[in-house]
Amino acid sequence: MTRRGPRSGTLWSLVGALALGLTWEALVRLLNVREFVLLPPSRIVSSFLDAPGFYLGDVVVTAKHLVIGVAISLALSLAFGAALAWFRPLEQASQPLLVLIMVTPWVAYISSIVLVVGRGTPAIVFLVSFVTIPAFVYATVGGMRSADPAARELFASIDASPWEVLWRLRLPSALPSLFTAARFNVGLGLGAAYFAEGATFNAQGNGLGETGKRAAANNQGGILWTTIVCAALLGILAQIAVVVLERWLLHWHASQRRTR
Amino acid sequence: MRTDRIAPAPCQLWYSPNGRCKVRAIASSVTTNPMAHSQRIQSGDVGSGHVDGIQATAVSKRFDTVDALSPVDLTIARGEVVTVLGPSGCGKTTLLRMIAGLEPTTTGTITIDGESPDSANRRKRFGLVPQSPALLPWRTVEANARLLQDINPGANHHPLSDVVDLLERVGLADFRDALPHKLSGGMQQRVSLVRAFAIDAPYLLMDEPFAALDEITRADMRHLLATLSEPTNTGVLFVTHSLAEAVYLSDRVVVLSSRPGYVVGTVEVDLPRPRVPAVEDDPAFFAIETRLRHLLHQGAGR
Repeated sequence: MTRRGPRSGTLWSLVGALALGLTWEALVRLLNVREFVLLPPSRIVSSFLDAPGFYLGDVVVTAKHLVIGVAISLALSLAFGAALAWFRPLEQASQPLLVLIMVTPWVAYISSIVLVVGRGTPAIVFLVSFVTIPAFVYATVGGMRSADPAARELFASIDASPWEVLWRLRLPSALPSLFTAARFNVGLGLGAAYFAEGATFNAQGNGLGETGKRAAANNQGGILWTTIVCAALLGILAQIAVVVLERWLLHWHASQRRTR
Repeated sequence: MRTDRIAPAPCQLWYSPNGRCKVRAIASSVTTNPMAHSQRIQSGDVGSGHVDGIQATAVSKRFDTVDALSPVDLTIARGEVVTVLGPSGCGKTTLLRMIAGLEPTTTGTITIDGESPDSANRRKRFGLVPQSPALLPWRTVEANARLLQDINPGANHHPLSDVVDLLERVGLADFRDALPHKLSGGMQQRVSLVRAFAIDAPYLLMDEPFAALDEITRADMRHLLATLSEPTNTGVLFVTHSLAEAVYLSDRVVVLSSRPGYVVGTVEVDLPRPRVPAVEDDPAFFAIETRLRHLLHQGAGR
């Protein structure tokens, strides 16, 4: 059995993407799908090239909402998760809140968020942070608890401080599960950002979601689908960023080793 | 309590690693008292009333409804290697964990040079070598070897040991920058030894550190451990299943019975130091192994 290198993997990914694009183009044209329902890739590219600055500006805004929201969520989750990992009763007490955040539809409470934190960016960032917190918290708690028990005893045998245990043992132990959660949360956060940009009375030109919602209201399928594809590409870029960061920070972990 | 002299006990002058001259018996002796659940284990250096060394008095452990360890007395002096030998589940690891302050005692008291285990932890009086190497996979070999120096640095004993020098002595100089997953089990355990020695703690607590290794590597590791520990004045509590390890490394071997463990007997090992691998072919070595085996069978009720 031959061993596949990274270049071979990338090549196959490109082949897959090309095949998807061609199939998509062919199906839309053959089935004569209405423009608003689905545009062929060639029309989306053409729409983007008509005003690349306009779309790229929106991409930057949405990316900013995503990054800030996820960063706040991660910071809060690490603090909250570390506390839960230490005190099991606190973890059990917080379960109803975490489950509620996960299962309640955003549509149901987005207006309340706008009323509380204000419209535009604050509400968008709040929603992104809010919906991505549970996965990060669960990852933090599980990862920190998975720290090698023998290593924990080693630390205890020389009276390591809670901060030393957290920084030198529990946090690195939680990194693998945090990155798994990050991959999931990038998609979730992007969806939340796109939705919130269109639902929080944002000013014009403030994000792909806001532009997409206006396009949908005005029956502009070209613009709508271009924002959707831009959001998807932004999600792919974010996933790639997470993978690169993961390979750098988790170079020691079994998941990053290449085996036959 | 009955003490059986197995062989004549001529004495010889012996120079301890710190240069002190002591008199010790050449022959081995066995102290047995299978009926007693609380028993004093004699130490050559620690007399009653002294606070030096590790002193465990009438220490027992009960987990819920299970008696893990019957009351046991144990003393370990600085520079002395004491092995606790016994079948699985007899409470020998529990005894070590209680001495290390990782498990509360059900009854009895433990002092380390007069301090409580918690106080000894705060002052880095123990170098712990767990059964698994417990290396942090994100730290290099050198960083792992330095780990206990880096934690609670205010309690470090100065001057600190040179970790690079220690790694060189155990043959890992070329692997300083490697991550643990690149090492074999034996190499990982060598890093674990270096990590414990690096803090120059007065006592080493070793919980079956070589249990997961193959027989040849185990032999290499016990030879290495003797080489590392003999030049120091470190008191060592070594827990093992292995008769060969117990005899090769120890000054005394304490044999525990099946659960709940009590002291079946203690065997003085007066093989000459420094211990060299050739001693394992000595008839005296086999004789002590045989004695320990008999005590183990006795403790198991066979």
